[in-house]
Amino acid sequence: MSLLSLSNVSVRYGRLTAVRNVSFSMAEGEILFITGPNGAGKSSLLRAIAGVTPPAGGRIDFEGHDITGQSPEDIARLGISMVPEGRDVFGGLTIEENLMVGTGMHAHERGWKARAATELEAVYATFPILKERRHTQAGLLSGGQQQMLVIGRALMTHPRLVAIDEPSLGLAPNITDQVYERLIALQVERKLTLLIVEQSSTRAMMAGGRMMLMRGGEILLDGDARALGQSEAMQAAYFGYGEH
Amino acid sequence: MSLSVARRTIATPVFLGLLLVAFALVALAVGSKPFNQTIIDIFLKVIFVVGLWVFIGNSGVISFGHTAFACLGGYVAAWTTIKPMMKGMSMPGLPDWLMQTEIPFWASAVVAAGWAALWALIFGSVLMRLSGIAASIATFAMLAMVNSIYSNWDSVTAATSSVVGIPIVRSIWPYLIAALIAVFAAWAYGISRHGLALRAARDEPTAAAASGIDIPAARLIAFVISGAIMGMGGALYAHSIGIVTPDTFYLGLAFITLSMLVVGGMGSLSGAVLGVLILSSLIQILRWLEAGVDIGTTTFALPGGVQEIALGAVMILILMFRPAGIMGNRDLSLPRKAASEPEGLKGPKT
Repeated sequence: MSLLSLSNVSVRYGRLTAVRNVSFSMAEGEILFITGPNGAGKSSLLRAIAGVTPPAGGRIDFEGHDITGQSPEDIARLGISMVPEGRDVFGGLTIEENLMVGTGMHAHERGWKARAATELEAVYATFPILKERRHTQAGLLSGGQQQMLVIGRALMTHPRLVAIDEPSLGLAPNITDQVYERLIALQVERKLTLLIVEQSSTRAMMAGGRMMLMRGGEILLDGDARALGQSEAMQAAYFGYGEH
Repeated sequence: MSLSVARRTIATPVFLGLLLVAFALVALAVGSKPFNQTIIDIFLKVIFVVGLWVFIGNSGVISFGHTAFACLGGYVAAWTTIKPMMKGMSMPGLPDWLMQTEIPFWASAVVAAGWAALWALIFGSVLMRLSGIAASIATFAMLAMVNSIYSNWDSVTAATSSVVGIPIVRSIWPYLIAALIAVFAAWAYGISRHGLALRAARDEPTAAAASGIDIPAARLIAFVISGAIMGMGGALYAHSIGIVTPDTFYLGLAFITLSMLVVGGMGSLSGAVLGVLILSSLIQILRWLEAGVDIGTTTFALPGGVQEIALGAVMILILMFRPAGIMGNRDLSLPRKAASEPEGLKGPKT
């Protein structure tokens, strides 16, 4: 059974259609990159899955349950952890507070504090810099550290699916390398299901996994990242050769 | 986890508490009745501004309407502590059981807190869905509504005329204790997961929702707690002067408390408390100077009205040079050993 499946999902902002009848599904443990040029509808698609922008049409199923149109907080509780674009850390909170925020949603469960503490140590083990600066205000961190913090924050709630919007945005290439290195390591270690929106298809090819290419709100290509990256179709889709 | 947070931040309410105790001791040392009343007034302002901070500081939503809860609390004191005979004359429309009720002042403060919390829950269920300036305007409308109901429902509130006969409590200790309760409650809320969730929503609403935070619910919790604190303060205010009118708890109080919060810094509990202590002290000094101070054989006096002008000037200067307030989002705390963390010296921020 697929973990996440979308059928004919559309997202509209007023009269503008950002995502047009998109259907795809993801298996558990899969790593899927959604790439495409600016304005392709990648982020809108992610926001629709996370419930931040309710879809205008279609249906989204997560673990066999219909989650279409549910509130973002309910979807988060079901196990989809979204890392929004622009690394929006809670700037006024310390690193540790940032990490603990999400764990509150399990407060009605027994032993949530102990589990949160274990999870906190696990995140600190993955990102030692966060532990070192745990009582620092998150707004004072560098871009790369903030990206690690938001990824760590997403992991704290033990999600079934982590959806990340443009982790490389505004980061120096070597920092992006580090972020991806950690992400891929985490994916292997924890058998995470990762859905990553990434403008750079090269990045997706380097990381490997499955890749989907979006353009004009539709999915043009879907397949193995490395194989797709070398294909002519990819170039054509990106730059629009052979159209019109 | 939460225990270690408590240990790490407990210094803040303890410092603030000691500061309040110091004010009380000064009042005791001076021993004059008017000065005693001044200190009581400062403690009441501390309660109100801390109540405001619980909501505004954590949610980032400015509320102009919190004095409405103080009004609700003030009238609870009138309803429950005035002698039944006197109530019968000024507020004949009260139900019989309430007419016969006569409870001690501290019990009226407790009931007032509960009554205000109940109304905060009712108003908040609707208002907390709004954000930003729309929410602020709606809270202002709430204040206007409460004021106009209390100004016109003459059978139970005596309308705009003063309700007299509320037992006056002149000892400073009850007010000190209530202020300490407010400070510690605000601190405990601030470090709780609900406080944390609300501050996260203040910084980044989208990311907070994606972290599973129900923002209106998180705001509502803060609104109810701050309403309860304001209600308690309102009842004690009534006991400090023995009289209530709806206008006691209207724009004047709303703006002075909000100014104190802005001057101190709405980002931290310390800012809320210090804002009150600093502005109140300044107002008191100017009052003395206006009344005239004898220096040798001449009397030096400032012209009347300087107090208001100086207060305005302080506001302008703060907003120009320290827009985040005197405390600038920081809390008073013990300096930590800063091994790997330069920020440690300046203390944790809430």
